[in-house]
Amino acid sequence: MNEILLSVRDLEVGYKVGRRIIHAVDGASFDVPRGAIVGLVGESGCGKTTVARALTRVIADNALITGGQMLFDGRDIAALPEREMNRLRWRDIAFIPQSAMNSLDPVYTVEYQLNEVLRRRGGLSARQARLRSEELFEMVGIEPGRLRDFPHQFSGGMRQRVAIALALALNPKLIIADEPVTALDVIVQRQILDQLRELQSQLGISVILVTHDISVVAYVCDRVVVMYAGRVAEAGPMAATITRPAHPYTIGLRNAFPDLQGAADGMLVPIEGAPPSLVEPPPGCRFAPRCPFALERCRLEVPETHVLADGHSAACHRSGEADMLRAEGSKTQTWLSA
Amino acid sequence: MYQLKAAVGRTLQLGLVLWAVVTILFLMFRLMPGNPMAAYIDPTFTEEQQLALMAQFGLDKPLWEQYFIYLANLVQGELGQSFRYREPVAERILALLPNTLILTFTSLIIAYVFGVLAGAYLAWRRGSAVEQAAIPVVLTTRAMPEFWLGMVLLAIFSFWLGWFPAGGTRSAGTDHGSLLGLYTSSDFLSHLALPALTLAIYSQGLPLLLMRSNMLDVMKEDFVTMARIKGLSNWTVVVRHAARNALLPVMTSFAIAVGYQLQGNVVVESVFSWPGLGRELVNAVSASDYPLAQGAFLMIAIVVILMNLIADLLYALLDPRVTHV
Amino acid sequence: MSETAIARPGLVSRLFGALRLPTNDPFAVAGLVIYAVFVLTAIFADQIAPYDPTEILYTEEFDLAADLRPGEQGFVLGTTSLGRDIFSQIVHGSRSALLIGVTAALMVALIGSIVGLVSGYFGGWVDALLMRLADIAFGIPFLPFVIVLAAFLEPSIWNVVFAMALVLWRDTGRVIRSQVLTLRSRGYVEAARVAGSSNLRIIMRHIAPNILPLSFLYGSIAIGWAILTEASISFLGFGDPSQISWGYMLQDAFASQALAKQAYYWFVPPGICIILVVSAGFFITRGYENILFPKLGR
Repeated sequence: MNEILLSVRDLEVGYKVGRRIIHAVDGASFDVPRGAIVGLVGESGCGKTTVARALTRVIADNALITGGQMLFDGRDIAALPEREMNRLRWRDIAFIPQSAMNSLDPVYTVEYQLNEVLRRRGGLSARQARLRSEELFEMVGIEPGRLRDFPHQFSGGMRQRVAIALALALNPKLIIADEPVTALDVIVQRQILDQLRELQSQLGISVILVTHDISVVAYVCDRVVVMYAGRVAEAGPMAATITRPAHPYTIGLRNAFPDLQGAADGMLVPIEGAPPSLVEPPPGCRFAPRCPFALERCRLEVPETHVLADGHSAACHRSGEADMLRAEGSKTQTWLSA
Repeated sequence: MYQLKAAVGRTLQLGLVLWAVVTILFLMFRLMPGNPMAAYIDPTFTEEQQLALMAQFGLDKPLWEQYFIYLANLVQGELGQSFRYREPVAERILALLPNTLILTFTSLIIAYVFGVLAGAYLAWRRGSAVEQAAIPVVLTTRAMPEFWLGMVLLAIFSFWLGWFPAGGTRSAGTDHGSLLGLYTSSDFLSHLALPALTLAIYSQGLPLLLMRSNMLDVMKEDFVTMARIKGLSNWTVVVRHAARNALLPVMTSFAIAVGYQLQGNVVVESVFSWPGLGRELVNAVSASDYPLAQGAFLMIAIVVILMNLIADLLYALLDPRVTHV
Repeated sequence: MSETAIARPGLVSRLFGALRLPTNDPFAVAGLVIYAVFVLTAIFADQIAPYDPTEILYTEEFDLAADLRPGEQGFVLGTTSLGRDIFSQIVHGSRSALLIGVTAALMVALIGSIVGLVSGYFGGWVDALLMRLADIAFGIPFLPFVIVLAAFLEPSIWNVVFAMALVLWRDTGRVIRSQVLTLRSRGYVEAARVAGSSNLRIIMRHIAPNILPLSFLYGSIAIGWAILTEASISFLGFGDPSQISWGYMLQDAFASQALAKQAYYWFVPPGICIILVVSAGFFITRGYENILFPKLGR
């Protein structure tokens, strides 16, 4: 059995706007090992949610996967016929959405919605489905008596637990969690993340955690994939990537968020400017216009992905000078003058 | 507990509306030009009848006292004597009410079943040629005078093709024994067909357009996307999730539509000589049969207000967000 | 309500912005063309109609020109059972239709807007009172109300306008009120109040221009309602027999056994005219909706 569950290779996803195709994801590659939580992080509009949705192959009406592969357990789900893809959905690849409130159907009880998945997709009998529902509720720490409640009767955190229970229902190999805790307050965020990590390690499931919050990644993930403007800027083991980032964007991102674990080290420094327009992306490195370390070359040539250490790579022309980048990049002054 | 309070509050509010409508009616019929007694007393009544009615409605008393007598009589269902039929207005109206309700509900059920299905279909086929063509057609049916549609159907299906009778509820000389016997007879149904079709064609636009626009909104909801990510079948996604949610406001609009339909009935009943409340109102007004006109109007108003109330309660019943707080 | 419409300064330019004709929607254009044709027909009715619509006509053989089919004896759409020219009646009917439609629309839009403005802007007991009145108006079945009213008033086409003014302001009033409530909660109204602008000034400068498009929308819908209601009332025989309207023509046809005589040329054209004018209103407002509420558009 392969150590890698999912391997995304040169994925391209575009949106049809008028006659043009705007690429929200433009050649992204990363791996998801078995039993690992991989954080997919970046500012809004960097393409991380598009990647997440592309993995389910349920994308917007005007979106289409224009290239690349998504090798899931050895099969390319980008090329799978719709019927076969549908067999994979939820049984192998489940999804936890950002807002459980909007993603649960308001007119059915939670039990109905669990049953729907368990019976229609899992082929369980009514009795089996009831037992499994109770088991799932116990797993996520909700009293099974509340199965008969409607979504609006749960609090925000509870609803997110319901969403986790739903995702676990059919023992998937991979769960894609799209900003699963963004809408919650910090204390509830921690509870939900703890729960997710506990269940994930217990059941050996792989998780892709999509978030804009690098501190969430630092808190639960085993690996990090940093995306910028539709491409992967840096990827690597969590500890190495957070403590020794090699891409200026990762350094900047780290400066811009408080630490979820409490002690924020130093000031919060935002990265000035906004991600580039994907209609006319910069020709070289896409981060160059906002990068304090950008050279002439960065603006003209697309950087290659440089392997720094085992499993740690960065797409930056200056990744050889990573020590200098880190030293200068942690100074507030560097980012203000950019 | 909260819902009960809201329901009681709404009922009281509509009770007040009913009281206001009753009062407006009282003022209209008393303040009209001419003899104020004309509201209840026809000059051709015998002297004893006149005196009895004077006493019953306190017509010799001051206006405010008449008002309270009027209210007291109303509460007891006493609406006076019809000039033309020489029988109590309440009896006459209660006898006509079933005809009107049968026509209304038959046509509305047809309209809603068709409208909901067609609306969901058009939402699903959004942007297609079928949809592009259908929307103006539906808008046109809303722009038709209902009685004119009735006339055209009558001219074609009754006078030209001879498939359906031209009016009334039964053929001359037929007797079905009981009311139930009448309503279940094929003779009655063939009389019902054209007026019900007329009203149904006019009414289907509302549920259709409502269902379509609701479906388009609901299809954009996260839970519909999630249902697809769950790998549920297209049918389950569209019918059990999208349509089920879109249906909610359409169902409540049914009760409101009953109220509106009663107004449309006035003209359509006249075209098809359908012995219902609407035609009775028109005939009573034409014949200056004031007590009957007043009674028929009141009955229609009561049904309209009652249906508004039912719409509210129905919404609470169908939407778990309201029922299960 | 688009943000650009709010940001644009000046009452006059807003007025033009709001009433900008939706020429990019083919349906709206069709609606405008229909309106134009009917307005012109109404204005030049005397020139267009070959006969007086109430005149009893005779054939060249001095027989009553009754129940002639279209084209016979040169009558374009034939004649009625009493020997009147149907085409001339259609042409003159446009006058009643437009007269009623426009006045009723003005009344409904005006009363509804004033009620909505006052109710939404001042709130408190004024609002409570006006909204309870609206509740009562919602409890009144409209068409039966017009019929009962017709029983007491002289037969006239104005009864319909009067009844609409009495009852149908309720829909416009409620919608305008909620729109005013949203507008009032926006920053710039609060700012104007803090800056010491008078209520009247705030209403005229900041609120009225923003609800104008909505009043216009409801007014256009009221045109259709008025024409349909007048047709129903005339059909039921409560109209003014001296004023030729399409509803009156239908009543005349129905009462004269036109259905049994299969005289489609008599009762189909007035119905088509009503449908055209009423749906023209729908098509135009549909076009406006796209401009007014871009989010509702597909």
